[in-house]
Amino acid sequence: MPEVISVTELNTRVSELFSKSVSLNDLWVSGEISGLKKYPSGYYFSLKDTNSVISAVIFKSALSRLGFEPTENMKIRAFGRVALYVPRGQYQFIVEVIEKSGIGDRYLAFEALKKKLGEEGLFEQSHKRILPAYPKKIGVVTSQSGAVIHDIITTSASRYTADIVLAPAMVQGNGAAQSIVAGIELLNKSDVDVIIVGRGGGSIEDLWAFNEEIVARAIYNSKIPVVSAVGHETDFTIADFVADARAPTPTGAAAIILRDKSEIRSELQGYMTRLNRAIGSVMDGMKHSFQLLDSKLGLQSALDDLEMRSMMVEELSKTAESSIIASFKDMKNQYTSVDARLRPSRALEDINGLKTTVEASLERIQASSKHIMDIGTTRLQSVSEGPEKAIASILKKSEQELDSDTKQLEGLNPSNVLTRGYSMITDKGGRVLTSIGRIKVGDSIIVRLRDGSAEADITSKELKE
Amino acid sequence: MTYAEEVEKMTFEESIKTLEDLVKELEAGGIDLDRSIEIYEKAVLLRNHCRQILDESERRIQKIMESSGTLKTEDLKFE
Repeated sequence: MPEVISVTELNTRVSELFSKSVSLNDLWVSGEISGLKKYPSGYYFSLKDTNSVISAVIFKSALSRLGFEPTENMKIRAFGRVALYVPRGQYQFIVEVIEKSGIGDRYLAFEALKKKLGEEGLFEQSHKRILPAYPKKIGVVTSQSGAVIHDIITTSASRYTADIVLAPAMVQGNGAAQSIVAGIELLNKSDVDVIIVGRGGGSIEDLWAFNEEIVARAIYNSKIPVVSAVGHETDFTIADFVADARAPTPTGAAAIILRDKSEIRSELQGYMTRLNRAIGSVMDGMKHSFQLLDSKLGLQSALDDLEMRSMMVEELSKTAESSIIASFKDMKNQYTSVDARLRPSRALEDINGLKTTVEASLERIQASSKHIMDIGTTRLQSVSEGPEKAIASILKKSEQELDSDTKQLEGLNPSNVLTRGYSMITDKGGRVLTSIGRIKVGDSIIVRLRDGSAEADITSKELKE
Repeated sequence: MTYAEEVEKMTFEESIKTLEDLVKELEAGGIDLDRSIEIYEKAVLLRNHCRQILDESERRIQKIMESSGTLKTEDLKFE
């Protein structure tokens, strides 16, 4: 009777056979990941090459030691053992370690080129150009069919407005590096202000063109600043090291190059706020000096009308018109001519003190009002739109006040003296006679009194000793 | 050329830089009122110019090619 064993027994024997076999344990297998399924216990997939396929599994603990995520279609070298799954009688490859195949060679090439170009100075900070703050035109070297150009167009829409010029390029596969170089060179002949060179995420092979020496040199030799935007944030390429700036993603490139409009607007507003604050403190300083001036005038002025004028000056200083200076001068002239015409010595003495005070005060006011007028005029210009009418009416009022002031001042002057019993003597031509030398015996003179005049003949004269 | 005309010719970058410089000058103090007012007027012109540029949102999206040594640009269209 031949030995009869159970299915379980059979599978167990095969399993033992596998586990004892030197050729099926601790071995490297190369292939491509296919049908990847992720479970909490681990990843299940098929490992295949062109002719054959084997089930494979990598358990959670091994997976966590990998440092990268196995993905569908990834070409790998897997270290592990062959084992039979007894309940199903199926054998599979239990994976302990996965290496991305070809990564070793790629890695070495990458490191070698990085070292070489680094020593040559291609990565020097001093060579890196500053990106234009507000570019008018952005060049993009990437695929016309990829997501990158769309991402850039979309992201830049809400930002500082710039034209976009695409130089279409192949970004993976044979000839990609040459195509990228051609794009960079083409844009260097155009009027773009900055160039983005990039592509979306992919495997290290997909990104490889950006690790090619000719691409690195084209970026280095570009007259226009270059921003690299290759793959994901974790992907670093030689292009990133050479570029003037590296963006983590193509979307990030648009954000690096173009400032957000609302951000610029608030910066602009910030300047205006600072400006207003600064001009405000200038105004405060001025106001203070006006007040000082006013108080000085108030203290020193003995004359009510002058005090009134100083107040007027202060008022006018806010609105201003240089004609007040002219009015002051005019007033002073009138005063002087009145003084010259009316010279009776008694009256002169009467008003001499007054005159000195008035003139000194007038001069001081002229000087200070000129200063204030100048300030006020400038200030007026700065805010000129609205208040013009108001100013005009203030000025008119001021002129009227000035007129009445002038009359008052004249009232204080020697003409008034006539009412106090003095008379004024003129010749028939109306010239005031102030010296006996001007009068001859037989002349007719006019004697002016407060309320009329009389003609008199000179019968004799006498010179004062 | 009036200052307004000058500003009109400025790029955004020049305008905002000039604005910044003027603000700093005014903040530093020690200048007379004439200059203060001048700064203020210029700053307002510059601010307006900047705003005008910011309000402009029309842009061209093109692609560039080279055929037999001459550059050619055309509007970029996506299928």
